Amino acid sequence: MITDKPRVLIVDDEKGLRLGTKRLLENEDYIVETAENGTEGIIKGTEKEFDLAIIDLKMPDIEGLEVLKEIKKHRPHTICFIATAFASYDTAIEATRLGAYSYIPKPFSPEELLFQLEKGYKQRILLLETENLKREREEQLVELSHEKSRLSAIINTINNGVLVINKTGELVYFNNSAVRLFNLHDVEMGDLILEKLPNEVSELFKTLINESGEKSYSIQLEIKPNRELIVEAFFERITGEDGDLRGVVIAIRNISEFKKIELVRNQFVSMVAHELKTPISAVLGYLRIILDETVNITEEKEEEYQARSIIRLEGLLTLVNDLLDISRMELGTKQREIVELDLKEVINNTLVFLEFDLKKKGIDVNKDFDNGDLLINADNDEITRLFTNLLSNAIKYNKENGLLNIIIDKSKNYIKTQIIDSGIGLKPEEKDKLFQQFFRAKNSKTRGISGTGLGLSIVKQIVETYDGKIEVESEFGKGTTFNIYLPINK
Amino acid sequence: MSLIAIIDDDPDIIEATSLVLNAKGYEVVTANNPVDGYTIIKEKKPDLIILDVMMDEPDDGFFLAQKLRREKIDIPILMYTSVSKAVGFEFGEGELVPVNDFVEKPISPEQLVQKVENLLI
Repeated sequence: MITDKPRVLIVDDEKGLRLGTKRLLENEDYIVETAENGTEGIIKGTEKEFDLAIIDLKMPDIEGLEVLKEIKKHRPHTICFIATAFASYDTAIEATRLGAYSYIPKPFSPEELLFQLEKGYKQRILLLETENLKREREEQLVELSHEKSRLSAIINTINNGVLVINKTGELVYFNNSAVRLFNLHDVEMGDLILEKLPNEVSELFKTLINESGEKSYSIQLEIKPNRELIVEAFFERITGEDGDLRGVVIAIRNISEFKKIELVRNQFVSMVAHELKTPISAVLGYLRIILDETVNITEEKEEEYQARSIIRLEGLLTLVNDLLDISRMELGTKQREIVELDLKEVINNTLVFLEFDLKKKGIDVNKDFDNGDLLINADNDEITRLFTNLLSNAIKYNKENGLLNIIIDKSKNYIKTQIIDSGIGLKPEEKDKLFQQFFRAKNSKTRGISGTGLGLSIVKQIVETYDGKIEVESEFGKGTTFNIYLPINK
Repeated sequence: MSLIAIIDDDPDIIEATSLVLNAKGYEVVTANNPVDGYTIIKEKKPDLIILDVMMDEPDDGFFLAQKLRREKIDIPILMYTSVSKAVGFEFGEGELVPVNDFVEKPISPEQLVQKVENLLI
């Protein structure tokens, strides 16, 4: 520590000189301690740090040079003077080698001593400052190298790719994700990377290098075909302090999942648009004919077309309601009133509602219900909707005068409802797609059966809402069985 | 007088289209699926085919058109497409879909007649 007052240690076996020097220096605002022999000199000089030390060369116990050596060993920044009346060339060299700052020949005048000590003290301050600077610099270097390795660790672990290319097209930095997301092989720092990168990336790099300004760019690229890997790359220029372009950093993000969702959404929107457009086209066609004076139709025909238009519009309305239901269920905004429901009652009520259709097609209904309580906790509208969709399918896709069996069993945790029809049945490939939105089994046998293609996807959603399960068994031409499992109310 | 075949699985579209074309003096034969459609084309040899792209399968009309062309039947085809985007097909001229023109449903009687007249010249 540099204090305001320089601290001096005088090591000398000659009492008069010791005390005289002490008094002299104290008058000059030094803090002085003394040691009367070499042993004491070593103890005092090493146990705490003095700015300066004046060491007598010849002492009875330990030589001054030994004391110098010990002090320097433990306190390298203490400025040491060797005081001697017998200055020889050899000892001078030895003393310097051991780290003495200077010689003070005995006897010395006060001016001479003070001049030397002042010089030494300045040296000491310089030394300490240098030392401080050195330490600070070292600390900064250590910190910097930590920072650098930390940063590269961070960059290497993030999922986004980072790639830095200098303006001559050399790869300056990259992380693992960049290699993965651009599907690169065998890349190293310093590679001329442009030819290994996707064409669009190289082109955009060249654009950025060749134009001035602060524009940044991004592009989307299909790296692996069939949407397996789609990435978005962001380009940003790197400039030096002078504003000149040094290179380009490219950040790469995997957007494959996002693109998949986008595709599904677009397909859904297209399907909805198509399903809405079909009945609108039909109704528009009829209305235009009715209004077209160049087309002559009988009054009977006109009424028929109006009736057909109403049927198509009713179908359209059903479709819109189905879509709204699906949307509410998906968003979770559907209001539910959970009550205790008796499945027997729900199914019997649904059959009453469908009686007209049953009679029209001559369907024979058989019921085999478990005798015990068949209770579940659910929203009445939803469960009614579930069985209405399934039972009306079992009628629509049944044969004329076909059979409809409804069996309800209960196990420990679930109530199992089986709805068995003797209808058209499903081909294996149709079975797989059955619960997809807008899927409708289309073949010569289903032609003329109307529907939105949403009924079973709604059924599945309702069943899953209540932690239930639905299975389908079917044989083409023979009939279809739906097994619905709903958690029992205990 | 020219004979036009309409192949579409929507009975209401067949009805309305037939009426419009009848009123303009065209004769019409119809089918509501690709199999019957193929049969009436072979039997009646119409002068023009109006073909819906999406029947039992989303691309039935497309395959029927290809089949006809493979058999060197080059009767002009006007394809009804309310679905080009829905099924992910991008139709371009001469590209895979060997038809002469497209119309997007719904179409007004005037537009329909004009398209038909163009193809029959």
